[in-house]
Amino acid sequence: MRINKHPILGKLDRKEICITYNGSDYQAYEGETIAAALLANHIRVLRYSEKGKKPRGIYCGIGHCYECRVTVDDERSVRACVTVVQDKMKIRSQGMYANEI
Amino acid sequence: MPMKYDLVIIGAGPAGMGAAIIAASHGASVALVDENPVPGGKLRGQVYKEPKANWWIGQEIARNMEKEIKQLGVTCFLEREVWAIYPKWKIMLNNGEQLESDYVVLATGAIEKPIPIPGWTTPGVMAIGAAQVMANIHRVKPGNRVAIIGIDALSLTIAYDLKMAGVDVVGIYLPPFNEFSLDKSNPLKMIAYLSSLSHLAPNPILKLLGKLGKQASVQKLGVNYYPPFGMRVWGIPLHLRKAVVQILGDELVEAIKVTTIDRSGELETKQEKRIPVDCVCISGGLYPLVELANVAGCAFVYVEDLGGHIPLYSDEMETTQSGIFVAGNSTGVEGAKVAMAQGELVGAIISNRLGLLKHGTELIKQAKEKVNVARKNAVIKFHPTIESGREKVLHLWNEKAVK
Amino acid sequence: MIQNMLICRCEEVLLADIVASIENGAGTLKAIKMETRAGMGICQGRTCRMLLEQVMDFHTDINVQEANNLSYNNPVRPISLANLSRSGKDSEP
Repeated sequence: MRINKHPILGKLDRKEICITYNGSDYQAYEGETIAAALLANHIRVLRYSEKGKKPRGIYCGIGHCYECRVTVDDERSVRACVTVVQDKMKIRSQGMYANEI
Repeated sequence: MPMKYDLVIIGAGPAGMGAAIIAASHGASVALVDENPVPGGKLRGQVYKEPKANWWIGQEIARNMEKEIKQLGVTCFLEREVWAIYPKWKIMLNNGEQLESDYVVLATGAIEKPIPIPGWTTPGVMAIGAAQVMANIHRVKPGNRVAIIGIDALSLTIAYDLKMAGVDVVGIYLPPFNEFSLDKSNPLKMIAYLSSLSHLAPNPILKLLGKLGKQASVQKLGVNYYPPFGMRVWGIPLHLRKAVVQILGDELVEAIKVTTIDRSGELETKQEKRIPVDCVCISGGLYPLVELANVAGCAFVYVEDLGGHIPLYSDEMETTQSGIFVAGNSTGVEGAKVAMAQGELVGAIISNRLGLLKHGTELIKQAKEKVNVARKNAVIKFHPTIESGREKVLHLWNEKAVK
Repeated sequence: MIQNMLICRCEEVLLADIVASIENGAGTLKAIKMETRAGMGICQGRTCRMLLEQVMDFHTDINVQEANNLSYNNPVRPISLANLSRSGKDSEP
């Protein structure tokens, strides 16, 4: 999913880091958002809705809609689209289990 | 303890940064607040060819402005959300911090209006702006096979962005008629809209469609002769006679269900077709994000040419609440250059109020002229009648002042 | 099918719920919000406010311009109770 070459914006030159999502390791680039890093790894489902338990992912991409909220290092409801990844960041989806804190 | 500044600016997009640079360069102490980790706002996603000039690369422009802000000593409060503004004026940040200033600039930009379509909450469906953020800022494809729903300046621009990024854009479609799509589902209205696109359009899609829309024969014959299989514009099929009636898939988007629209504009449900895609982008247009102006007690007006409800502002961009100014898309939806110029104007006006300018009147006059020039030369017009919208606001302001 | 479409993504309110509330006499955006919870979720109606106005415009004789009574309330963005107490200011009702 990465756009490594772009006719106008040129080549990518960014530092690789490692994040985990729901316990699995994924590669990410320094400076990108959680939403971008997960999408680059083909992950679109970020949480399940409270009532209908329906999957949700990125919607507005700019912090307005709060659809992409995930748990980051035990902090709940962090917006994946406006939060930058950090090396060894532990990210979890929300709403998978009924007894989730 | 509140932190005091000469000026607090909310929103670090082109308008907010423009205001910060001017005010700080005249010696004002400035705080700039944004919920994003990096300043620049939507400017960062823009990539287009300027008429008879170079490429406009928003990220580079934003980075240069950011450098300037840092050199000028502007204090940035990034990754903070403003949850309230209390008189006169206390700006409350969501991490518990509090800023205080006599002058506030609201430069919160615009927000996308959705067009709900059955299946629109499925992961893989996103607002068109999100696709631009992913492709141009983060360099991640929003999908491998992408369908776009909604025809407007933004969606056509981003279709081009996606194509440049190597995404397979399977088509641009109309939304089906419902209470939310209204005219946006009407092929004839869309042809009329295309004709309003500027001849200076910064990409081949907009340019070609602008020309096409202007041809009298096309407008007259309208949809009757618009081919039901669509036409290709820069390799992307543009469908003015097809609507996406449903987005399919449970956990992820798998396909769209497309129906042909007959000559009278009705859906031909027998002609349904399933087209596999992994991403759908919905474009319903932009409207000003004005919640902070509202909680600060500013008076509002409804001006359709500017995108809807906006805070009433004077020719000095001040709202009905003294000390609260507005700049950029939260005053009406226009391009980044206009937003930047509006920000610079507000920066000059506030510097003058603070007593920092020697030749204030002259500087402000120049800044106003710069806004007008930027507006006149805009390559993309989100609302064809923006100028009359701006005049309407000033008229309403003067009317109010007379009362 | 369209009636089963979600309008408020946060509170998971269907178009059918909103239309039903109007048919049951909800004549203002506020009344619709109170009855269905549409627009009262974490995004504070940022995504569906315009849609609710459009539903009113379409199903009643109130138009979009009139439907918006522009009542936003503090806090306009979510704030944790811990940070709220730190800021020393209560959110107004």
